[in-house]
Amino acid sequence: MERSGKGCKERTLTRHFGRHGREFTTKRRLSPYIKSRHEHYDIGAPGLGPVELPQNGLAPMDTSTLAEHAGTAGALFASVFVVATTTMRTMIPLRIFGILTNIVLIISSIATRNYPTGLLHCVLLVMNSYRLHQMLQLVRDVKRSVNSDLSMDWLKPFMTERNCMAGEILFYKDEKAEELFYIVSGRYRLVESGIELPVGAIVGELGMLSPSNLRTQSLECIEPGTILSVSYSKVEELYVQNPEFGFYFLRLSSARLFQNLAKAEERLAQLTAPAAIAPKPA
Amino acid sequence: MASVLSSLRYLLADVIGDDDAAVPSPPENLPADAVPVVTEAIARLIDYQGPSYAQLYVDRLKRFVGRPGVDAADLDDIARLMAARMSYEDPIRIAQLKLAEHAAAAVPTPASTDGDRKRFRIDELIGALPAVAAEPVLDVLEWVGWTHAPVSIRYSAANRFGVRRLKIEAGLKRWRLFSIRYAKERVWVERWLHMIDRALTKQPQATRAIIRTADMIQGYGSVYRHGLADWHAIVDGLVKPTFDGVLPLADLTGAIAEARAAILPDPRQVALKRKIAEIRARALPEATPPVPA
Repeated sequence: MERSGKGCKERTLTRHFGRHGREFTTKRRLSPYIKSRHEHYDIGAPGLGPVELPQNGLAPMDTSTLAEHAGTAGALFASVFVVATTTMRTMIPLRIFGILTNIVLIISSIATRNYPTGLLHCVLLVMNSYRLHQMLQLVRDVKRSVNSDLSMDWLKPFMTERNCMAGEILFYKDEKAEELFYIVSGRYRLVESGIELPVGAIVGELGMLSPSNLRTQSLECIEPGTILSVSYSKVEELYVQNPEFGFYFLRLSSARLFQNLAKAEERLAQLTAPAAIAPKPA
Repeated sequence: MASVLSSLRYLLADVIGDDDAAVPSPPENLPADAVPVVTEAIARLIDYQGPSYAQLYVDRLKRFVGRPGVDAADLDDIARLMAARMSYEDPIRIAQLKLAEHAAAAVPTPASTDGDRKRFRIDELIGALPAVAAEPVLDVLEWVGWTHAPVSIRYSAANRFGVRRLKIEAGLKRWRLFSIRYAKERVWVERWLHMIDRALTKQPQATRAIIRTADMIQGYGSVYRHGLADWHAIVDGLVKPTFDGVLPLADLTGAIAEARAAILPDPRQVALKRKIAEIRARALPEATPPVPA
């Protein structure tokens, strides 16, 4: 049916929708120049004639507009997530929202065939997921440490390795403390007290929380080895990024302080006990 | 425009290394004689790096204020020499001093030929940059074998281009505390203070001599390197073994003076090493091999 004067072709299609077989009539208007997608590009090509309706009377779905709409909706949806991500104050929610944004943008970029954007968000998705995993693992490890052996092994992924020579002083007494150390190998001695530190020991974790920030003893390397170190500013960064980590870190530090106190009391008791039970001279 | 720049500066303060800490005041109970020295040192270190760095100086000095065995003269020396070492002369400092000289001069200084030219070693120059950037460069230089190659830099404020270049070089001070050179200087200052501290408990009469060893290290380039090497030779050969109880040197002050007198501008330190060996041999007669009859 040709509509005179407007140059538009109007087809009346009958579609069957619904459970009860109700009939709806839709009118579809096509541009005079684009009769169908195929006709536009392949006009005159052999074997490609005008669109023919299938025998059941259903019109073929125009997926190009659907993809466009999906892309627009995806972009709008992703914008909401981007705004939400920027409002996050701490690291874990920020990463979660970052991941959601990446997923939405990957889907919408596939729909709109914008593959470079999709690729970028695939890379960002991997990075966000890795960082989120790292942060969740950190919180889990600190919690576990508080409830078990009070070790600080969980800090290892954030530490940098350094080799020490025999005779090297890692820090001096009364020096302003700026980093804590984890002993991996070699032998190390606290100069003033003469105490040798075992492999796996952490040195200097309380200096971060003490008001004066001063080293109470010097640490000397007496046999070459490797240590890991992390700056207080890095630990502070983790603390600020993640309040849950901060809370458990405080609990861990306090527990280690009480443990040290208990050891000191025990040692004092051992020193005073023989004197108390010593027989009086005749 | 100025307010926009100020806002941006505030926003990026951490990145660009701005230091907005409060200006520190001299430690309480500081002897009156030492106050001018410490005040001048604080001003110098604020100009050199910033208020936080000056605060570090004050904190270091506090360790010796009111300490038994440290008199006003000693404290004055510690304050003066520590300020000198904490404001060590690296290429950035030389640019800062040249700019200050240019600002103070009423008439622009004419371009001189050799007066503004300073000679460094390439590792000294690269060492003033942040460690993240400097370490890979130094690795490459080491691989090529150019670590000790001499470099000559002209510091001139004779024209606008020269002043602009000096300002850029002086602006690198924002990242100075991340440099390889700063890490070394920090260790040196802490070691020197530690030796003073140990002298106070082990041999108080040698304290002043140990404090004054800091003036062995001055300037930049080869002068600086020789001074530093000589200082380490004396401390490792005489001072530390004495405090560790390994070397029974009753007169450490005399031994340091004797060793310092033997210093010559010789990179191999032949005379100094011989003198240190001689002093050690005198102090350890039983350790020396017996002379055959």
